[in-house]
Amino acid sequence: MFLASRNFCCRGIRTCQLRTDLLSRSIKHSASATMPFRHKNTRRIEGLDSNVWVEFTKVAADPSIVNLGQGLPDISPPSYVKEELAKVAAVDRLNQYTRGFGHPSLVKALSQVYERTCGRKIDPLTDILVTVGAYGSLFSTIQGLIEEGDEVIIIEPFYDCYEPMVKMAGAKPVFIPLRCKNDGISASSADWVLDPAELANKFNSKTKAIILNTPHNPTGKVFTREELQVIADLCIKHDTLCISDEVYEWLVYKGNKHIKIATLPGMWERTITIGSAGKTYSVTGWKLGWSIGPEHLIKHLQVVHQNTLYTCPTPLQEALAQAFWIDYKRMDNPDCYFHSLSRELESKRDRMAQLLKGAGLKPVIPDGGYFMIVDVSTLNVDLSGVDEKQPYDYKFVKWMIASKKLSAIPLSPFCGPETKKQFEKYIRFCFIKKDSTLDAAEVILKNWNKQTG
Amino acid sequence: MLRRTAPFLRHFLLERNSSAGHSSCSREAKMSRPVQARRLEGIDKNIWVEFVKLATTYSKVNLGQGFPDFPAPDFLTEALMRVVSGGSHMLHQYTRAFGHPPLVKALAQLFEKLLGRDLDPMTNVMVTVGAYQALFCCFQALVDEGDEVIIIEPFFDCYEPMVKMAGGTPVFVPLRPNPPKDGKLMSSADWQLDPTELASKFSERTKAIVLNSPNNPLGKVFSREELGLIAELCVKHDVLCISDEVYEWLVYDGKQHIRIASLQGMWDRTVIVGSAGKTFSATGWKVGWVVGPDRLLQHLRTVHQNSVYHCATIAQEAVAQGFQRELTLYGKPESYFVQLPKELQRKRDWLIQSLNAVGMKPIIPEGTYFLVADISPFKSDVPDVPNSDEPYDYRFVKWMVKNKGLAAIPLSAFYSEAHKNNYTNFIRFCFAKEDTTLKAANDILQKWKQEKTSS
Repeated sequence: MFLASRNFCCRGIRTCQLRTDLLSRSIKHSASATMPFRHKNTRRIEGLDSNVWVEFTKVAADPSIVNLGQGLPDISPPSYVKEELAKVAAVDRLNQYTRGFGHPSLVKALSQVYERTCGRKIDPLTDILVTVGAYGSLFSTIQGLIEEGDEVIIIEPFYDCYEPMVKMAGAKPVFIPLRCKNDGISASSADWVLDPAELANKFNSKTKAIILNTPHNPTGKVFTREELQVIADLCIKHDTLCISDEVYEWLVYKGNKHIKIATLPGMWERTITIGSAGKTYSVTGWKLGWSIGPEHLIKHLQVVHQNTLYTCPTPLQEALAQAFWIDYKRMDNPDCYFHSLSRELESKRDRMAQLLKGAGLKPVIPDGGYFMIVDVSTLNVDLSGVDEKQPYDYKFVKWMIASKKLSAIPLSPFCGPETKKQFEKYIRFCFIKKDSTLDAAEVILKNWNKQTG
Repeated sequence: MLRRTAPFLRHFLLERNSSAGHSSCSREAKMSRPVQARRLEGIDKNIWVEFVKLATTYSKVNLGQGFPDFPAPDFLTEALMRVVSGGSHMLHQYTRAFGHPPLVKALAQLFEKLLGRDLDPMTNVMVTVGAYQALFCCFQALVDEGDEVIIIEPFFDCYEPMVKMAGGTPVFVPLRPNPPKDGKLMSSADWQLDPTELASKFSERTKAIVLNSPNNPLGKVFSREELGLIAELCVKHDVLCISDEVYEWLVYDGKQHIRIASLQGMWDRTVIVGSAGKTFSATGWKVGWVVGPDRLLQHLRTVHQNSVYHCATIAQEAVAQGFQRELTLYGKPESYFVQLPKELQRKRDWLIQSLNAVGMKPIIPEGTYFLVADISPFKSDVPDVPNSDEPYDYRFVKWMVKNKGLAAIPLSAFYSEAHKNNYTNFIRFCFAKEDTTLKAANDILQKWKQEKTSS
């Protein structure tokens, strides 16, 4: 009786009938016609199967399209980074397993670099976890520290994986939007701010963590010390953790400084700071990232890691370690890649902004990162005839890809359900692109107004 | 006195205030709950952390952790060099999330041959960060709270914590040794499932069974009949099969690795897990895959896109080139899939001889690069300690690495907590090692034997 009722609760009414059917079948018959609940997804991934990238990268894969959509550099990584990997390929023992929580030479290099930027001693073995991209760090952090019943504050617009990862951990995402402070006229990412009172209202006793992303994807906002202090005060008041996604930490433009929230008083012990080799060295395909934080938090991420993939690839970690040593030695030097890439991207940013303005679009100049959001409503492209269910920005990007051969990413996937309307007139361009790509974009944008679309 | 301490006290109180929080109620509620998620309960311990540390500290000869100490094949490392130096710099950027196209195409091509069915590289194959992450995706995608998962003991240790992390309940069933009556050395084939016992483990709550063939640590290669038994039960109870076949190419003595997915009624309910690390002796590359029906793989894709999303492009490109080479040489003597098992069989036989000569009783593995040996004859060296909380083989292995410099892994490490004391006289050796390493191990064992006979 108990068994039957458990089944009913867990699996649904169809269970009993189906099971009887199955048992009465001969083993010889293929069971493929009766794949019911057992072949359904688990509850934890319910509703998490769709993904904006799968949709848009497919559409933009056509080589005739100028791709400013996905955040993927088409510039070459620095030559010494590639050379280090070539050197490593020749070393036998580097083709076998290394230390699970991070290759020794890499965690050592990371601890040195981050001791400089965090201004505190960082133990390479207990305060660092190397993961498969920053993505893997986000996953390990959320799986390790977030669970059913928890709430996690997410600032909109947000890098799209935060929401499904929080849901997969059984927790509730609580959204708060960045709002444009100048009556909707935003020229800079700095114009987008959190309302302190609104933010304070989102915190309660269930709030386990807030996810911070600075420099911010997609707006490029670089949170100021004052803005970080507001967040920090609330974290401390409510004993909340802070998951700080700082993958674009080196990409800040003139007049701005990247500040690590973990360096604010009272924050180190409650913050996981996430970084990315892909963004630091323009090698997104290496898929190496790291989490840095206090041992009492990192140890839980390590438990997740040892039960999910155990180790990251050895040769890539070794090559990355060598690259970090090279740049660590010249961290105060303008030649350091952390600084030179930033300078290179600043001029691309400025060029991109000019081109967009020339086409009648209104870009929001980012203070950091390599994305730029653009208000496309000024173009008044009428897409009301197209699929009504989709937000305007989705339709605009698809139209732009088809008619202008230029791709971008719509902003609505970066928003929670309440805020999608607020951002549907914006699309995101990526400008970490080589000159020839930007030249091709220039041609399209210059000719934009000449065509009747 | 007061004046001197006051500033310090003030500072101390300020520090405490800033981190203590102003709302004591909410903080107390939080503090009574641990910071870590409940899903980590009971899965924080890991045998490798301890044993790898021991080996690093004490061992002169490491036959413990399973990785080759001989180089990966030239054609593979050359492929990596080519890709890094000569390939497009776009190979340093993201590739397709569910698997780099050249790699999934090569895998589909190979597995079409092996399974005798058409495969779509985009929906029947997914690339993962090692077979380890493939297993993680399987459990997260397919095992819900309350589901039971059957695990055959001894098992690769990660299955149990992964099932638990997914909220599932592991249900164990042992392989039982049936020693040959003629006094010959046991083979891994002599360790068998009891069909009635196995059948009794299937219930309405059983979601999946994990099969590992060739089996780590015993080296057992499940026969067609044994797989048929498991398949019958899977079909009867509508249970999924997670088939860990990372050692698929390492089978000896002319034995054949049979894929359970090719048995009647099994393709639709099986996810096959594979590993480039084991296939190409490059464990540090962490490239693995799953092969299976779209209906199941779609859920693994959802887990993958919400956990790691992409795997490293360069490693995938190089592995793809490795597979392309093997596809052209398939079945030929120059094929790595032919040469590697040949080489390893020789090493296996050498180690068997070594162990035999000193009185350890090896169980001849039919596959994998592991070998389990009975250490009962050596018990006098490390006497049993009654009431010790560690199984005998754990103590033996620790003593051996510290005193003899030879690292191995205790067999109990591959058993559930409840059954750790069932088989405590066995230890596992890895023989994917250079001849010089195996010779050095032999020297240690010979010296040890001489010490015993002379004392």
